[in-house]
Amino acid sequence: MLDPKLYIQKLLEHRGVAITARKQKLLDDFISSSAIHQAAVTILEQQTYIMKHWRIRDKIDDIMSARIVIPNATVGKPYSAVIDYDQYGLTDLVYDEWTGLEELGLQFDKETKTISGIPAVSGELKLSFHFKVVGESESDVPNIKTITLIVNPDPKSLWKNIPSDRDAIFWKPDDAMAAGALGDRHIVVASNRGRSHENNGSFRDDDFAFKYIENTGWSVVAVSDGAGSYPLSRRGSQLACSAVVEYFEHLIDLQALQDLESKIRQYENGKDDTLWKDIAVSAKQQLYKAVLHAHHTIKTEATQLHTAAPELFDNPRAKSLLDYFHATLIFTLFKKFDSGYIILTFGVGDCPIAIVNRDHTDTVLLNKLDVGEFGGGTRFVTQSDIYQPDASPLTMAERFNVYYTEDFSYLFLMTDGIYDAKFMVEANLEKHEQWEAFIADLEGDNDEHALVDLDPGNEQIAAELASWMDFWSPGNHDDRTLAIIY
Amino acid sequence: MRRLPVYFLLDTSGSMNGEPIQALNNALSGMINNLRSDAQAAETLWLSIITFDREVKEVAPLTALDAFQLPEIICPESGPTFTGKALEVLYAKVQQEIRKGTPEQKGDWRPLLFIFTDGKPSDLQLYAEMIPRIRSLNFASIVGCAAGHAADTTKLRELTSDVVHLDTADSNTLKQYFQWLSDVIEQGNKSAGTTDNVTLPPPPSEVHIVI
Repeated sequence: MLDPKLYIQKLLEHRGVAITARKQKLLDDFISSSAIHQAAVTILEQQTYIMKHWRIRDKIDDIMSARIVIPNATVGKPYSAVIDYDQYGLTDLVYDEWTGLEELGLQFDKETKTISGIPAVSGELKLSFHFKVVGESESDVPNIKTITLIVNPDPKSLWKNIPSDRDAIFWKPDDAMAAGALGDRHIVVASNRGRSHENNGSFRDDDFAFKYIENTGWSVVAVSDGAGSYPLSRRGSQLACSAVVEYFEHLIDLQALQDLESKIRQYENGKDDTLWKDIAVSAKQQLYKAVLHAHHTIKTEATQLHTAAPELFDNPRAKSLLDYFHATLIFTLFKKFDSGYIILTFGVGDCPIAIVNRDHTDTVLLNKLDVGEFGGGTRFVTQSDIYQPDASPLTMAERFNVYYTEDFSYLFLMTDGIYDAKFMVEANLEKHEQWEAFIADLEGDNDEHALVDLDPGNEQIAAELASWMDFWSPGNHDDRTLAIIY
Repeated sequence: MRRLPVYFLLDTSGSMNGEPIQALNNALSGMINNLRSDAQAAETLWLSIITFDREVKEVAPLTALDAFQLPEIICPESGPTFTGKALEVLYAKVQQEIRKGTPEQKGDWRPLLFIFTDGKPSDLQLYAEMIPRIRSLNFASIVGCAAGHAADTTKLRELTSDVVHLDTADSNTLKQYFQWLSDVIEQGNKSAGTTDNVTLPPPPSEVHIVI
């Protein structure tokens, strides 16, 4: 506190009273008088009182107006956030307490200044910070600052499961599965409607079809993914798959197929490179006809439907009737010969076909994928541009593959609903260790301990696969279709 | 995981001062709460908010919805509307932030852009220069919104064919508009071709599509 004498001197000075040397003695006597001295002391004490209370109020105001940002939480997920008292000026406190936490499933640790726990409710929740600053007394009521904690709902709880409308045109079951023999091999396949479709009652856009064609000994397996943003794509995928099977079962030029087979038998003996090239060309010609058949089958149906029900074609952005049926397509046609298997493949879109060798030491991705710069930017069998000579990024010829192997353990066909979740990016499809992990996952190495017992005698095999495919993967809620030839 | 990046460009020029800015804050907050309970958005949506008046500010950098915290949007008492400058800032941000698909990286969904204004650009030349550059960013949808009688829809139409007009910037109208935007955002999550635009859901009666 200021010296009372000094205070009086400053007061006089402030009021413009000049103290000449002659008046100095008078001033000294004046200040020494006890009444005046006491008055100065009282004034100084009052000033101190005022200042002290100003500082308290100012500090409280600073704390009340500080924007305290605490990270958002999520229901059911362990949460921990340190409140940096210094950063927000929560200093010089004689009392601090957090309330409103327990009922949310959280607590505050004073030592570490940490809010932690597992939130039980979602919303914009209000937490209260009760505090008193230095200078406030026992009897003062604590100040209360409200802080918002955003708790996100548990993502799993947000998904609804609304059945699709059975009366709608081209309705198909929300989930489908099948298993059985395929020539000398076996197949299990499941196709599940994605959560994004379950959530709004829309249809499964994926589809599949397979067949062992007895009179030729070839097996065909097709998988297709209808484009989510096109209204009739569920039919597009269905037609694409069935048309491919239909082609190889009923429409293929049997003479051409026999010629191809005799070349293959010839190749088995000498493994002649020139002959192999010849085989590749003939095989691709046969596959190409199947692709065209799928395209034309969809086109025919689109045209007929447009005549019968033009009201279904009401999207001003569609450039062609086929757009309404946009679907990707992958398929394989394979057969066992004396020394091994000939495996022919085709792919348009972002669905992979991969083969794992007999000893599980190598995996080969059999097709090239169309993946756009942005999510969803793929190519469809229904697009006429893919048939153009200068098609990009892939020419038609690049979409086919002709593969020979003595034996294999698995041949996989899947839609992006599986591969986005399990392989993340395209580059991983080229890595054998990623496929090993995928096989281990199928064998039960996953959070849900779901497994598929790949044994032809397993009567539950298709149901096991369908249930394995129900795995949880954040952000990946597309339809999922997986065909395993084993 | 694929992200759906959504950019908001909000006019905070002087004319928004008072009730409109309050209404805008409430409507934004309502929309975000809506989206938090949308299964799809909760996992994929990323939001960025850029405001423009005489200054352009990124008030919320591109952030995942589950970590997003809405700042209070404020505006000066008066001043110009630098829409062109805002587009310039946006262009740089989008260039820098959007992940393109490569064999090693999951590409984002094509981003969405929502522009809200109650006036017209003060920097017309820059605005005109920015239009082709913004278009080149290949947004899945750009929705322009002109609120109130002083808002100019013709300038927005030069940027996008999807322009809506609101009669007023009052609290109910803005609430309806932003609720509708959450529907648009939910559409953005669907697989689409590389250049097709998102089909807009039918808007509520307060929102007039400008043809």
